[in-house]
Amino acid sequence: MQRASCDTEHTDARTKDAGTRAMIEATALTKRYGAKTAVHDVSFAVRPGQVTGFLGPNGAGKSTTMRMIMGLDRPTSGRVTVNGLPYAQHRSPLHEVGALLEAKAVHTGRSARNHLRAIAATHGIPNRRVDEVIDLTGLHAVAGKRVGGFSLGMGQRLGLAAALLGDPATLILDEPVNGLDPEGVLWVRGFVRQLAAEGRTVLLSSHLMSEMALTADHIIVIGKGRVIADASVADIVASTQTFVRVRSPRAAELARRLGQADVTVTEVDPGLIEVRGLTADAIGDAALGLGVALHELTTVQGSLEDAYMNLTRDEVEYRTTVDPGAAAGAAGATGADAGLEAVAR
Amino acid sequence: MSASTFAAPSPAPARASHRPLPPARLRFTGVLRSEWIKLITLRSTIWAWIVLVLLQVGMGVIFVLTMDAAPEGGPLQQGADAGAADAVAQTAVMASSLGILLGQLVISVLGVLVITGEYGTGQIRSSLTAVPKRLPVLWAKAIVFGVTSFVLGLIAVAAAYAVTWPLLDDRGYTSDLTDPDVWARLVGGAGYLALIGLIAFFIGALLRHTAAGIGAAVGLLLVVPTVLQFISAEWATVLGQWLPGSVGQSLFFGGDVFEPWQAVLVMLGWIAVLAAPAAILLTRRDA
Repeated sequence: MQRASCDTEHTDARTKDAGTRAMIEATALTKRYGAKTAVHDVSFAVRPGQVTGFLGPNGAGKSTTMRMIMGLDRPTSGRVTVNGLPYAQHRSPLHEVGALLEAKAVHTGRSARNHLRAIAATHGIPNRRVDEVIDLTGLHAVAGKRVGGFSLGMGQRLGLAAALLGDPATLILDEPVNGLDPEGVLWVRGFVRQLAAEGRTVLLSSHLMSEMALTADHIIVIGKGRVIADASVADIVASTQTFVRVRSPRAAELARRLGQADVTVTEVDPGLIEVRGLTADAIGDAALGLGVALHELTTVQGSLEDAYMNLTRDEVEYRTTVDPGAAAGAAGATGADAGLEAVAR
Repeated sequence: MSASTFAAPSPAPARASHRPLPPARLRFTGVLRSEWIKLITLRSTIWAWIVLVLLQVGMGVIFVLTMDAAPEGGPLQQGADAGAADAVAQTAVMASSLGILLGQLVISVLGVLVITGEYGTGQIRSSLTAVPKRLPVLWAKAIVFGVTSFVLGLIAVAAAYAVTWPLLDDRGYTSDLTDPDVWARLVGGAGYLALIGLIAFFIGALLRHTAAGIGAAVGLLLVVPTVLQFISAEWATVLGQWLPGSVGQSLFFGGDVFEPWQAVLVMLGWIAVLAAPAAILLTRRDA
């Protein structure tokens, strides 16, 4: 699969901005449809040079927010800018932002190539570029076919081709891997990572944390129309603390002895505890010192999926940023049969 | 703004194969081109155009073949008196224009589809993403559709005239294109198709739904005049005269209510009355 590449000056100009200036800025964005509030007072910033994941359960307001960025939906209140201006105010909108908001936002009776030609014509983009994005997205074999017969995956590729037409500095992709075959999923992941590496801004939505973990550098979690978390993937990983599962006939005694600052011990069952803040080695040594028999000593890696579940479970309590302590506490409380929770400070 | 800079897909280093693209800029001429591409790359457009021309020619031929021959000593080619010349022109125009009564339905359906087809398929969101100010899309569509409808109307009427001329000539009606009465009405017929098509187009833009749009546009042409005929009030008669379908007939059949230039103005008025709310709603509504 071919890759897009960027000339040096272009990349330099963009990377210089990385980390300093937000390309997409939403301020108190709110959208109401009648009585239903789809997006409530959402503010965030998306920076260039990295992939920002826009994560939330279905119906959380991701698509509505993206549609407001692209000017397709009018915010009820608040505003959102791309590169300092509302999208519609740019003189060359397709060069600023390429968007894939839904697969097959295309007249079913037109061929893929003609669809792309029509979009390209608005900006005076030559047909040469149309052929480039067709090759880039692997649509060559079906470019002359009418879009009505396309699979969802082909529709996604066509949407991506349309988004790339203007060689945009910012890409907004709503669930781009939906309907793609495994090869296509891998390709999209590699592709967006590369676009970000070129200094572009990439905002990518998904309802799958696992997808985000593989693609994104930074994650904005949205639930019921509100921003729940806005943190780097590294921070979120850090918040999903690893814990050690300890099974012992004298677990309660061990729990009392392990208690110290920065160590959290959760009694899950009589004889089964989960310890956060100590390594398995340290626990094993401590147990040996106490003469406590251990029947199990397992390090359990917390997953991003868990962190996400915790975050979206109660979007009110954890709506600002990911605080490792809060996340750990939440993780502890999530055990279906959570019993005694001993937090030593 | 730096130039577009994707390299051509090739395994060679990007810079070696690099040909910078010209700077992309959104322009109204580009939007016009885009709408032209969109119009001619749909089969429905091509079919509508073919049907339009065939109907025009077919209706003309049927009209001529079923008419009575010119009465003896009547309006023959030498016909010197004004009344006779007028009758020849009338007949020639009638033969070339009769198809408009059916062609207007074809062009109205096409006019509605040009816009509601985008809403029905989701294409409108691609269109408005490329042209986020939105209104240029509406105006460009109207211009491209209006001009192509006029040109197709001219082709259809001219074809009908060309095919019926020898048939009429056989029957003793020899018309002459230099006769302003003839060509002005032929052009008028093409103009009527463009104007009635634009009325349907803006109805479609208002309703954003194919079935509703076609129903309203065709209803305005066929149903409303019939209903008004059954109301024996003065206002119903006047309203009936002002409907686009009856106003427009003065452009090709002639009429005693409006002069052709008045008819054009009335139809432009209809277009304005529909276009204004369509434009306002386009900028206000979520796409």
